[in-house]
Amino acid sequence: MSWRSVYLPLRRIVLLGVSLGLLAASAVWGQGGEPRSFAIRGAKVVPVSSAPIENATVVVSRGIITAVGTNVTIPPDAWVIDGKGLTVYPGLIDGFTDVGLAPTTSPAPVAESGARPQPAISRGPEDRPATTPWRIAADEVNPGDPRVETWRAAGFTTVISAPKGGMFPGQAAVLDLGGERAGDLVVKSPVAIPVSLQAPGGFRSYPGSVMGGIAYVRQVWLDTKWDVQAEAAYENHPRGVERPKYDRSDAALAAAFSKLAVFLIPGNTTLQIRRSLRLIDEWKLPAVLYGAQMSYDVAPEIAANRRLSVLVDLKWPEAEKDGDPELTPSLRALRFRDRAPSSPAALGKAGVKFAFYSGGIAAPKDILPAVKKSIEAGLSPDAALRALTLSPAEIFGVAETLGSIENGKIANLVVTDGDLFDKKTKVKLVFVDGRKYEVRETLRPTEPPKGDLSGKWKLSFTTPQGQEEATADLSMQPDGTLTGSVTSDHGTGSVFSGWASGEKFRFVINISIEGSSSDVVFTGTFEGTSMKGSIQAAGYNLEFTGSKPSRMAAVQAGGAQ
Amino acid sequence: MKLRTNILCLAAALAFGFAGSISAREKESGAAVDAAPPVILIRNATILTVSHGTIDKGDILIKDGKIAAVGGMLKAPADALVIDGTGQFVTPGIIDCHSHIAVDGSVNEGSVSVSSMVNIADVLDSDDISIFRDLAGGVTTANILHGSANSIGGQTIVIKLRWGQPASKLPFEGALPGIKFALGENPKRSNFRTPGAPDRYPTTRMGVEETIRSAFTEARDYKKSWDDYNKRIAGVEKNALPPRRNLKLDPLVEVLEGKRYVHAHCYREDEILMLLRVAKEFGFHVQTFQHVLEGYKVADEIAAAGSSASTFSDWWGYKAEAYDAIPYNAALMTKRGVLVSINSDDAAEATHLNQEAAKSIHYGGLTHDEALKLVTLNPAIQLGIDKRVGSIDVGKDADLAIYNHDPLSAYAVVQKTLIDGRVYFDREKDLAGRAALEKEKKDLLEKAKKKQDEEKKASAKKPEDKKAEEKKPDDKKPEEKKTEEKKPEDKPKPPQDDAGEGGAL
Amino acid sequence: MNRHSLKFLAMILATTLLGAGVCNAQSSAGDIAITHAKIFTLTGPPIQDGTVLIHDGKIAAVGAGVAVPAGAQVIDAKGLQVYPGLFDPVTQMGLSEIGAVSATVDTTETGSFNPDVTAATAILPSSAHIPVTRASGITEVIAAPASGGFDSRNATNLVGGQASTIHLAGWTAEEMLINKRAAMVVDWPGIETRSFDFSTFSNKEKTFADAKKEYDTKVNELADFVEQARHYAQALQNPGAGGFQRDVKLEAMAPVVRGEMPLLVFADKARQIRDAVEFCEKQKLKLILAGGTEAWKEKDLLRSKGVPVILKPTLAEPTEEDDAYDRLLTQPEELHAAGIKIAFGSFDNSFARRLGQNAANAVAHGLPYEEGLKAVTLYPAQMFGLDAQLGTVETGKIANLIVTNGDPLDVTTDVRYVFIKGQLTSTDNKQKALYEKYLSRPKAAR
Repeated sequence: MSWRSVYLPLRRIVLLGVSLGLLAASAVWGQGGEPRSFAIRGAKVVPVSSAPIENATVVVSRGIITAVGTNVTIPPDAWVIDGKGLTVYPGLIDGFTDVGLAPTTSPAPVAESGARPQPAISRGPEDRPATTPWRIAADEVNPGDPRVETWRAAGFTTVISAPKGGMFPGQAAVLDLGGERAGDLVVKSPVAIPVSLQAPGGFRSYPGSVMGGIAYVRQVWLDTKWDVQAEAAYENHPRGVERPKYDRSDAALAAAFSKLAVFLIPGNTTLQIRRSLRLIDEWKLPAVLYGAQMSYDVAPEIAANRRLSVLVDLKWPEAEKDGDPELTPSLRALRFRDRAPSSPAALGKAGVKFAFYSGGIAAPKDILPAVKKSIEAGLSPDAALRALTLSPAEIFGVAETLGSIENGKIANLVVTDGDLFDKKTKVKLVFVDGRKYEVRETLRPTEPPKGDLSGKWKLSFTTPQGQEEATADLSMQPDGTLTGSVTSDHGTGSVFSGWASGEKFRFVINISIEGSSSDVVFTGTFEGTSMKGSIQAAGYNLEFTGSKPSRMAAVQAGGAQ
Repeated sequence: MKLRTNILCLAAALAFGFAGSISAREKESGAAVDAAPPVILIRNATILTVSHGTIDKGDILIKDGKIAAVGGMLKAPADALVIDGTGQFVTPGIIDCHSHIAVDGSVNEGSVSVSSMVNIADVLDSDDISIFRDLAGGVTTANILHGSANSIGGQTIVIKLRWGQPASKLPFEGALPGIKFALGENPKRSNFRTPGAPDRYPTTRMGVEETIRSAFTEARDYKKSWDDYNKRIAGVEKNALPPRRNLKLDPLVEVLEGKRYVHAHCYREDEILMLLRVAKEFGFHVQTFQHVLEGYKVADEIAAAGSSASTFSDWWGYKAEAYDAIPYNAALMTKRGVLVSINSDDAAEATHLNQEAAKSIHYGGLTHDEALKLVTLNPAIQLGIDKRVGSIDVGKDADLAIYNHDPLSAYAVVQKTLIDGRVYFDREKDLAGRAALEKEKKDLLEKAKKKQDEEKKASAKKPEDKKAEEKKPDDKKPEEKKTEEKKPEDKPKPPQDDAGEGGAL
Repeated sequence: MNRHSLKFLAMILATTLLGAGVCNAQSSAGDIAITHAKIFTLTGPPIQDGTVLIHDGKIAAVGAGVAVPAGAQVIDAKGLQVYPGLFDPVTQMGLSEIGAVSATVDTTETGSFNPDVTAATAILPSSAHIPVTRASGITEVIAAPASGGFDSRNATNLVGGQASTIHLAGWTAEEMLINKRAAMVVDWPGIETRSFDFSTFSNKEKTFADAKKEYDTKVNELADFVEQARHYAQALQNPGAGGFQRDVKLEAMAPVVRGEMPLLVFADKARQIRDAVEFCEKQKLKLILAGGTEAWKEKDLLRSKGVPVILKPTLAEPTEEDDAYDRLLTQPEELHAAGIKIAFGSFDNSFARRLGQNAANAVAHGLPYEEGLKAVTLYPAQMFGLDAQLGTVETGKIANLIVTNGDPLDVTTDVRYVFIKGQLTSTDNKQKALYEKYLSRPKAAR
């Protein structure tokens, strides 16, 4: 048998398998037996650290950029990509998210009675409520997080991710969005300690108010500093002295600071920004302000603290989609919505270093349009690009290796067919650590669905607040198009962009979460009357399971929701 | 040259005169406000000085934010802003001794019984429209208190209602900070239970006393450990380890050292005496009893202790401990020698404290000036700020309210309110400015709607989206996005002083 | 006589004629003549120096030259003024003693439809609130179930029950009654997209679409209930041969569907007001609007349908951040200028004594004084069909009068005498007694 008769059918099978794989997902991994050497030839290259270069070539080898320019020798083993009509940018960086981390786990199993388990009651700062600074993002990486793919397909090669939940959720790491094993994604850790002043306790548990949150954080800093002092003193001279108590949080915070992590402090409205500026002054800690959507009002005051950088939340405030038509928003809210996108320009004008982060945006395809809004409101496209690349790299101390297209830096690139901020532009290729990822359009998969998703599904999922349920009332057309609605404690949302193909499905609803409208994406697999998958919403990534009661049961229950 | 300077000064004065009087939502930029206020002459008004009687057809000259002269036929520089006070009444700005306005988030850290580590000063909200509304009611200074959910509550602060200024510019410079205590039904949670939580100690008045005693016992020891430490490092042990700082106990030490005022919410006679007893035991002073609705029963004891009282005009009957409340409380305590003020505890009530003060003429026979003192000089003395405010005297801050009628009447309407010699509320200007605000709102709504329509057109290719659109009603007015939680419930005017809804005082 | 001796006289009268009791303290029912008073009849310009003669519980004569019959008790009111007693048309008077103590609160029944429960049943004649309110010149009120107030427990009433009009004096509720069944209380549902969930102590959100659906369901339930009641009322009048099963709730609705008893609808938002007006028009029911915070937004509709409005206290905070600071204070004038009949209500019991003050504040912001005064006397009487008996100082009306040393709307005025059903009624109350007791407490030993 000639090699042809074996190889060609084999190749066909391989190709078939590969193409099926392509159809089922929106992007494909780097093919096995990967080339480690690429050259993009004759493209427009936008290094960010210097002026754009027309008709240039970028050479990537073993994960590093080895050459950039118009007069570049392409190594013979390089996979050459024709860059005509393409633009190469540094891979985009999302300045603060939890993409790439394992989904949030529930605190405790549901009680027999079905009542939502309550978190433990904290009686004071010493109980360290909602405080888990020892959680390190680098240790909780999940390369299988579906958002890794979707963020990457939108042009993001790097994220700064931290665990979510609580006042000190954990330590953030710089992650590159590509790699097989969890550790492969970690670029640097720890880089930041996010802090939230949103007190979770209400009247049940300390802290239960904004001032309580501030007092709590203040006490934690004091305790951390004191612990360091006390421990040093004890080590020096333990005899005759009562031994200092070990506090896990303080130890973790002290360790993180010794590694030069910055702390991220929130401030979105003028009031909050000014307050956080005061707290940063009071606490004298290296800090980065996040939120910053009212910077248009106070940019010079932010600039007054020369060491302060800012992360701007791209989920611009907007009207609720399902609101009461007779309720007019307040003038203050209207002004905020109108002017928020001008904040980045104001920051730039005042000389403040800032970067963007996805914030409340759940679908990465919405990120660049949000940036576009800030350009329309006065930010120069160059400054916008920098805020997505070199600035976040600088803020988190990785600018030596990330954030621009320069010889020797990590090969994180995004290749598009036009200007990044043009809405017609598509991302064609993404390089993460020198691995190439093709990006195809999110085609609707064409394989017919294996089963019928129509009916009323009972979904269960666990949020940081505990177990929740929802009902998805779906109807599926023969070609797999899904419509319907999903009802939960957060309201009812209509299904759009829904499809089922093979055993997979995906649909999106839009509901109001904490006062702003958010896309909630359900992705998963189904079989018969059960389904499972993940939900992405408002920055959360949760697992869910679902079941459809049998027809008989549905009829008996009256079909009521 | 001189003329030109004068014209410039006049222009500046006019600019500030107009820019300085702020209509409802216009806020000055920081730069404009930092510039010097103009010279103002209020002319030909009835001046209720509070400290030294009434001056008919009198003038007040204001310079550099202070009252420069009070009297008849005063002379003012040519570029002075002249306010014609003919037929009008000028009083010192009202001082509200119990207020919860201008706080971001809950006024209560209601989780623990001793929450002295929290500080209202950290969460002042300069955007609260209640500041403006209370200004429109003649209030110039307010004692912003923590709520009454705890036996020992959070730290408190006195502010001036400088509407338009950032939160950092609100605190009353030099006013001693305070701390809120609460006795009676609220801290012991008689009237509500937190669902899903075990009872919080204390649940009796006995426990309230012990909570306070226990906290001060701890504070006393804590103070001693710091005193010892300070002695040691003053001596040979320069590198001694300091005690761990405890933010809960720091303010209690300040109370023991007389550096922080205690404002104690209380109702019943027995709890008033209890706190006096505990204060005596630990050697601290209760500066004001707040609400103190049964204060009239133990007025002598309050007076003997040198404490003062800040109460309501005529609230009663909403709680068991308020059942014996009488509207004669202020007058009766005054007659027995207690320094008394009348407060609001409520943003709406604070818009008519002049009327509430007037009720003590009817209930208990206070004189006109005695009644006026209840909301001006008396609260100033209680808050230790009487050197600067509380009466119309030369050298004091130009914090004034101008009425169109004797203020001790339901018919008096505030025309202007000044703070630090700047017009922060001007009724005419507010009325005149409303149309512009309406227009701005309308324009912004139209702009947003246009954008929404454009976006809808852009995504019109998705058939699924059409289905989602059908559900929406005529959405020309999108719903507002509210921010943080405020008071959770919407009952028709419950008195703020209850812990029943969790957002309470 | 000076102020003090007049007061002393009143006290003597009160105590000697009535014994030690403070409540329901009324004089015996002989003739009384109030002389030399300035009388504000509200039917014309005030009578500068006049006499009001009270006979058999009614106003027998009013005028400058009225002769005083022999044997009549004379009250010299020189320097004083006579007004009709004030009328507070929305209170929980007698239905709630201490708001936070639920055992003392009977304002709101459980369940959505309670047309049969009647306020008069639960009014406590010896409630401390009655003499307290009376001392400020209020002589009659309507006690309305399910009308809000401090401890209304988030009631989900649609039809809350029958409001009762009472004099603020009487040994029993029967003696106090003016009209046991004055109006049917309806709490118009609202649309809440955000509510506070006590079980999780957090804000819960609903989409507008969901909240509107719930709202529509409730309104439809109300419509269905009224329809049922209409058919029931018909059957009542023409019972079929087989008879039918009686239903106390539907029976209670019969006067309403017959147009004899008005609906007292509590609604504040423009949408609620609009829908309530439309509903009553469609169902042919008489409507009195209570609350009316956003009535100004629907003033044309209210005027064209002749709907009277009882306004919540003007001294409350405007509801929206962008509302003008004096929105509620100028509304009465705005509605009056639009031709709408208004009255003021306290919507409370312990704050009922502020009725006059609320009216005065409206006057301070543009409402003509006489309108303000009528809005707390004649107009509420007219709204509830009682103007033949109350609301002005006119011959033939019930002698519910107050004698003051000045404007009854202002806060510094003393009410010297109160007459209810023609009897001199004590202005003493629990609070005055406590005042006097502690005024005379001996100086405490140090």
